[in-house]
Amino acid sequence: MSAPLPPPEPGERLPAMEIGPFDAAALARYAEVSGDDNPLHLDDALAAKIGFPAPPVHGMKLLAAFEPMLKAWRSDFFIAELGGTFVQPVLRGDKVTLTGRVLRVSPEEGVFVRLYAHGSSRAPAIMADATLRPAPSGGNS
Amino acid sequence: MTADAAAEWTPLCAPMRVAVDAAQAARYAREIGADPSAAPLSFPAVWLAQPVLRAAIAQICEEADAVPVHEAQRFQYAAPLTLGAHYELAVALRREEKPPRLVLQATVTTPEGAPVGRCETTLRIVPRAGLPKKDAA
Repeated sequence: MSAPLPPPEPGERLPAMEIGPFDAAALARYAEVSGDDNPLHLDDALAAKIGFPAPPVHGMKLLAAFEPMLKAWRSDFFIAELGGTFVQPVLRGDKVTLTGRVLRVSPEEGVFVRLYAHGSSRAPAIMADATLRPAPSGGNS
Repeated sequence: MTADAAAEWTPLCAPMRVAVDAAQAARYAREIGADPSAAPLSFPAVWLAQPVLRAAIAQICEEADAVPVHEAQRFQYAAPLTLGAHYELAVALRREEKPPRLVLQATVTTPEGAPVGRCETTLRIVPRAGLPKKDAA
């Protein structure tokens, strides 16, 4: 049995995670399994008509990817909250880097983490946050 | 309190029974890079894409000659979702005017009524006239 990990500390940086690039087949699979079949994510011509050089990746697919990142960091915590704002699109074919940093830790609030998803541009694609609390029985199930 | 904050929540549809189907959850988990043996916390996104909910939103947007743009999303949990479990899903809608938004709040409870979680979806309502057009085709 391994010793429990020390509690996260404010300022601690989470290991960055790279995801993607996502191709058309990946976006089609996500659309099919999630039910979000908005043609903007699947149709090159429609994306071009709106001004995108390629269809944007579903924002929800990217926000959801913070969960495995957080669990890879601390599987001994339960993700009580995850939310984010979709600031700008990530286009099909872009790599995405997920980063995070612990902002606050308290017994009442838990561990509050600021999260970012960056595509190929300097500005973040998603600004997000998560609140983690000690898992009652060894992690999310 | 602003007028928007005071806006009323109105049910978008009747409460419905939903489930974390293990096979579907595993497929969803693979597409987000998560562990397919656990229920992803974002899995309610699948429930929120049901035709009855999408149709209600589409009708509102059609009346406004606008398109919905997913602006923000939040999931809050009192307890993790469980593979194979059934839940009650209630979805309410609030409109904001400045700027125009639809906010959907989905409340997840056990069939016995115990709170499980809440999801909030913010959709920016963008007039079609304001969308960029690269060409007229």
